[in-house]
Amino acid sequence: MAVAQPVGVYEREDLLTGCQAVAEGIRLANVDVIAAYPIRPYTEVMDAISKIIADGKLVAEYIVADSEHSQFEIVKHAASVGARAFAGSSGTGWMYGFEALVVTATDRLPVLFLVGNRALDDPGAFGVEHNDALAIRDMGWLLCWVATAQEALEHVLLGYRIAEDREVRMPMALAMDGAFLTHSQHIVRIPSQEAVNRFLPPFDLGERRLHPDNPVSIAPQVNEDWVMEIRRQNWEAARRARGVIATAYEEFNQVFGQRYRPPYSFEEFLTDDAEVVLIGMGTVAMPARTAVRRLREQGHRVGYVNLRWFRPFPTEELRESLRRFRAVGVIDRDFAHGAPDDGGVLLHEVRSCLYPVRERPAVVNFITGLGGRDVSIQDAIRMYEITQEAARKDRLDGFVTWVGVRE
Amino acid sequence: MIKRVEINYRGIFQKTLAKRIGGDIVMIAARMGQVGFSNGRYSDAPERNGIPCKYFAFVSPDLSEEELEAECGAKLDIDEANISVVLDDTMVKGVEPWAWHGVRPINEKVVPYGYLLIVSRRRPEELVRFMARKPYPYYLAILEGEASFAGLWVYRDDLTHERVLGALAALDPQLLSIEAVKGYLWDKTHEEHRVQAAQKAYESVRHNVHEVTPLQGIDWPYEIPKLPKWHEFPEGVVVKAVPREFHLGPKGQSRNQLFKRGTTKSQRPVVRFDLCTKCTLCWLECPDQCFDPTPDGTYDVDYEYCVGCGKCAEVCPVQECIVMVDELAFEDNRSPWEHWKRDPEGYVRWAEEKKGTHRVLPNVVTGTGQRVVEVEPVPAGGKPKPAARAGA
Repeated sequence: MAVAQPVGVYEREDLLTGCQAVAEGIRLANVDVIAAYPIRPYTEVMDAISKIIADGKLVAEYIVADSEHSQFEIVKHAASVGARAFAGSSGTGWMYGFEALVVTATDRLPVLFLVGNRALDDPGAFGVEHNDALAIRDMGWLLCWVATAQEALEHVLLGYRIAEDREVRMPMALAMDGAFLTHSQHIVRIPSQEAVNRFLPPFDLGERRLHPDNPVSIAPQVNEDWVMEIRRQNWEAARRARGVIATAYEEFNQVFGQRYRPPYSFEEFLTDDAEVVLIGMGTVAMPARTAVRRLREQGHRVGYVNLRWFRPFPTEELRESLRRFRAVGVIDRDFAHGAPDDGGVLLHEVRSCLYPVRERPAVVNFITGLGGRDVSIQDAIRMYEITQEAARKDRLDGFVTWVGVRE
Repeated sequence: MIKRVEINYRGIFQKTLAKRIGGDIVMIAARMGQVGFSNGRYSDAPERNGIPCKYFAFVSPDLSEEELEAECGAKLDIDEANISVVLDDTMVKGVEPWAWHGVRPINEKVVPYGYLLIVSRRRPEELVRFMARKPYPYYLAILEGEASFAGLWVYRDDLTHERVLGALAALDPQLLSIEAVKGYLWDKTHEEHRVQAAQKAYESVRHNVHEVTPLQGIDWPYEIPKLPKWHEFPEGVVVKAVPREFHLGPKGQSRNQLFKRGTTKSQRPVVRFDLCTKCTLCWLECPDQCFDPTPDGTYDVDYEYCVGCGKCAEVCPVQECIVMVDELAFEDNRSPWEHWKRDPEGYVRWAEEKKGTHRVLPNVVTGTGQRVVEVEPVPAGGKPKPAARAGA
């Protein structure tokens, strides 16, 4: 991470939780409308933003809604009049507002949402599980996981840049692991407003902006005569988003130094000579990368792929990357009961991505860290060992292991 | 071989009627050893009062049920109809179910030498003069009768259903034989008057079939819209709205040029501007903002947008000032207020002639039918009197 920064783009360092880092990003993005409704672990971002506004550091409408459904509808409507808007939630709260989330995507309104990943009730749990954010995966959303507070702040800026792009205009879910990132404090370098302004243009909804001078009707009843063409448009936007994502990171690097490396949608760690890799999303990168370092000390050729962008899925780049390895272990911090081979959500995305490759690596799956359970370095080492075994024996392909469950 | 029957009906008011006709075609065809099925154009739902809608019935003597469904099922509209039934004759002016469908001819789907069967009390030429010219001959069949209107969830059991089945048997005995129709009705109800209604319609319609040649009818004045490809219209489900404009006088309020909905009406309000007390109620209460304020304080009607709901006539406090009149009495949608300004006495004469002396009381959605009363016309220069209230 120690790369040279252009002088003056960061104005200070501060000790921030993941949620506070997002709030700093909201301040720097000069967000116009924030709608809030509390649920752990998202709540901390709402506290942090209200303090920023109370301190006079951001002028914005801050609306506390009566539920997540209203909260999400408020920001959807705010975006339709051209406001840069922010909301967020966790777990069941996110699910409660789902109807509003779906229409925000079909109406192509680029609102940024924080999803502080939380297990879906029941049973009650505050800890991380990815099923809440993943539920939006087929609905025309941008969906991205960050692994550190620094990334969280920067992806608020990147998120608005990508979501609001004329070629995209899709809502964006910025997902971060509940507790492990939302509530852990790190020293974060905070960009200067001047640098942010150079990177992030003002939000302009153009001819779609709802305004007395530009009367438009949004989302009328259209039936079978139009729906398929409208879905086709949305598909095209999701495809265009891949290119816009790459452009946005390049522009970000130009302003802030070489923060991110291609292909941006995911990040490889010590994979150049690796035979076996694990791939996962979010904070599981920390034990996984630590395990890589320790296993490499013992001569194992292992690496880690941190998948950042789940939607749009980086199909081509990830296919080209993963085909180099003999085996891939997919870490799912989620469940998809009854799915093919009883694997998790990410397993099926990765296997589907690799299917056109003639000489495919073996792909195995790990369900782990559910409900906020720790994923330890030892757990990660065990996952590498199973994946290495799969590389030796083809019959393990598709094998699912629950790691960390009492048995 | 497939026989396709299309049933054009007025949304809500005739939904149950159309559905029963469609369903019974299937049941009767089955008695004859044929395969059939029936469906409604789901896109017409949720229906609105009076909007032109469609029901379909398909019958085949030789195809399997699956093949028939594959050919005709899961389709929202059909390309051609052997028989198009029209349950309200005012639909001959055209049907416009959705904005992007345009105003379409009622006989659009009728095949060469196919049938357009209309429930009407009018003569053929009184109907054909509103209909689109077709490039080939077809038949217009008239089933003598009033349009049967009921309310939502209700069915007006006035034998229209049985009579339409009898009429279909008269037009195409291979589709439905009159024996099968009668046998079905008897087995289902054991009520002789239903069987008789079908039989009488069968006999009368056979003598009320008229060939319509390619010379008859009008050049259709409405453009049929062509829907754009996916990349040819704006993203984000955003439609440009109608800019707000207003001036006093006819068509002084801006309106959506793409969706006029005028084909929804079976009646239109005729206004006696000379009796108007300028109370504003028609203008305030019209659910479709069809009344345009004029410089003299009265209110013009934009008939292109009027759906004929009758609300204005219902709320007008002046006797004989706003009266609903059968839509087929009118040739065009010109401004009545301009007519009145130009020729006040001529307008009153014209209006009273259109109104006649019988009044159908506002069609309140109860399913109990309409009340017809006879009235004394108010002469030009007559004083406004309070309107008699329904039920008063």
